[in-house]
Amino acid sequence: MNLPASFLQQRMPLADLLDLKAFEEVCRSFAELYRIGLKVFDETGNKLVDVKVGNADFCGYIWTKPAGREQCMMTVGRVKSQSIGEEQAPTTFECFSGCRYVAEPILYEGDLMGRVVFGPFVPEELTSLPESLRRIAADFDARAAEGYQQKIRKVGVPTAEKILKHFMGLLDVMVFTGHKNLISAKLHIEAVTESYRELTEKNRQLEESYARLKELDRLKSNFLATMSHELRTPLTSVIGYSEMMLEGLGGPLTAEQREYLGIIMEKGENLLQLITSILDISKIEAGRVRLVLTEMDAGQVMRDAVATVLPLSRKKGLKVVCDPPAVPRIHADRDKLRQCLVNLCSNAVKFTPPGGKITVSAERAPGDRVAIHVSDSGIGISEEHLERVFDVFYQVDGSSTREYGGAGLGLAIVKSFVEAHGGAVSVRSRPGTGSTFTMLLPVNPPPAPALTPTGLPAVVS
Amino acid sequence: MRGQGGRAQLQRMVQLNAESREIALKVVYYGPALSGKTTNLQSLYQKMDPKVRGRLMTLDTKDDRTLFFDMMPVFFRTQAGVKVKLKLYTVPGQVMHESTRRIVLQGTDAIAFVADSRRSETASTLAYWQNMLKNLVANGLDWKTLPIVIQMNKRDLEDSRTEAELGDLRSEIQPPVVSAVAIRGDGVVETLHAVLQLCYRSLDRSLGLDAKWHITEKEFLEKIFSHVDLRGTKLGGAPPR
Repeated sequence: MNLPASFLQQRMPLADLLDLKAFEEVCRSFAELYRIGLKVFDETGNKLVDVKVGNADFCGYIWTKPAGREQCMMTVGRVKSQSIGEEQAPTTFECFSGCRYVAEPILYEGDLMGRVVFGPFVPEELTSLPESLRRIAADFDARAAEGYQQKIRKVGVPTAEKILKHFMGLLDVMVFTGHKNLISAKLHIEAVTESYRELTEKNRQLEESYARLKELDRLKSNFLATMSHELRTPLTSVIGYSEMMLEGLGGPLTAEQREYLGIIMEKGENLLQLITSILDISKIEAGRVRLVLTEMDAGQVMRDAVATVLPLSRKKGLKVVCDPPAVPRIHADRDKLRQCLVNLCSNAVKFTPPGGKITVSAERAPGDRVAIHVSDSGIGISEEHLERVFDVFYQVDGSSTREYGGAGLGLAIVKSFVEAHGGAVSVRSRPGTGSTFTMLLPVNPPPAPALTPTGLPAVVS
Repeated sequence: MRGQGGRAQLQRMVQLNAESREIALKVVYYGPALSGKTTNLQSLYQKMDPKVRGRLMTLDTKDDRTLFFDMMPVFFRTQAGVKVKLKLYTVPGQVMHESTRRIVLQGTDAIAFVADSRRSETASTLAYWQNMLKNLVANGLDWKTLPIVIQMNKRDLEDSRTEAELGDLRSEIQPPVVSAVAIRGDGVVETLHAVLQLCYRSLDRSLGLDAKWHITEKEFLEKIFSHVDLRGTKLGGAPPR
């Protein structure tokens, strides 16, 4: 990558550094103040400014004579083009008419930018018209010429040089200021352009890596779905055959064998549940969640869910209260709603220390909705984690040696299922005091397909 | 970015105009914010005879922070009649002016890296060094061959590294290291001298300044430094007056 060439690398001609119109006004006022004409040429000899003061009649008269015209043009040529060096010093040019010009190079940053020509003026020492002028024509009218010449300022060469020096000082400031302003403006634009180019490039890179991440995410979901399915098949056999053995189909069992088989079955069921969760999440992420809506009693589903976690909570010494008041019947997917409640209740059991209490309750909520709360007196969640607990695979304690098990899928599934119903899920919590999860479900879910977290519509049937 | 060695030369600012017999060079003072880049240029401006330098152009904000850059032209004509034009630039140090730094660095022929030698500034110095290398690459410049001098500035401050530590640094890295207290003018001329010496040698190798342009290293440096107030510098010699 190479940047486009900056204008800093370019050389600026004089005309670009000055506002020519304003500059001409300055020149005019300067020339009129000193009553001497002023010309400014750029480096290639282009005339940028030409102010004439007092010499129009005199020079005009000379121009009426062919020889005068010819010599005048020669003088002008010399004044404009003859080398005057690159030192900050004036050069005096004599005109055949007896007048004088002083010229000085315009130097900027060591470069020759052009020249300033000051004149014509009549030198103080000139007392009469020179012979070179008188002989330009046989009918030369010296009296008239002298009269015209009096309109031109009479001044000593040293004084004229001093005035010119003063002007050169002014011009230097103008050129410097002009250059500085030009650079400011142009560099500003270049800097913005360059920043824009850089940001565009970075955006492109971000888009690329985002697309790559999305593709990886899709591959991950596919992998999970396939693997879950493949894992479930043999696991079903493991559980099935354990069950058959427990039922004595393989012959009588000792008490010890029975106990071991019980553990195999229980852990097998746990594993199956986990795999099912993974399959659910991959379905959700692939946007393949389908709701089967039926009219139901939410209270019944709550009691079912509590019944599921009751054995575990008893074992842990927790008090579980399920007191559903009469809430309206709602339209929802029974299995999914039950799973949501089981997930929330399991979490509550998991994170509440022995002796704690879990409450499952429901109430009417504004907007024709029903709110179902699952509260516990557990360890709670600190604020920094609250926003992310519904993220897939998110664990408040992400360390490998964490105290509480789980795949980090339960709440993500709850959120997806509730949102698929057109509802919302929220959490309030204080570390050490407990947490309350709330599902807000519409009594009648919207008929349009609800959106899953991946933005794909879930078909509501 | 590799394999641009050949092109890198084209990216250098050095402009040789055989017809008008001119050589234009660019030196950039690079470094972290508040390391003293502008102070270096201001000090040089004070010490240099107006005969060989132009005005110091400063584009800054109200609070005296460099907005775009500072720039000072230096120029002279050699005995063989070659006009040498040198432009000294600083870059804005504040992080947000990254794109401006990259633009100003474009086509540079040599670099004075101005670092704050206090220990507390080490991380920032290293970050800007890396940032400079990156920006040189972005400009198609090869930092391995570019003349670079490091100025360890602010030697008078309490936390600054000791001379022994600078000695260690000198033995570790390739670029020359010059100590300075730019605010007092110490080391400023020495830094420029070291930069221009390296710059001359680099250009002599690539363009034959001596052979083709009849400019010797001695003349190149003298044309500038005979117009610099050398009192109190390590460059010796009584001031030219």
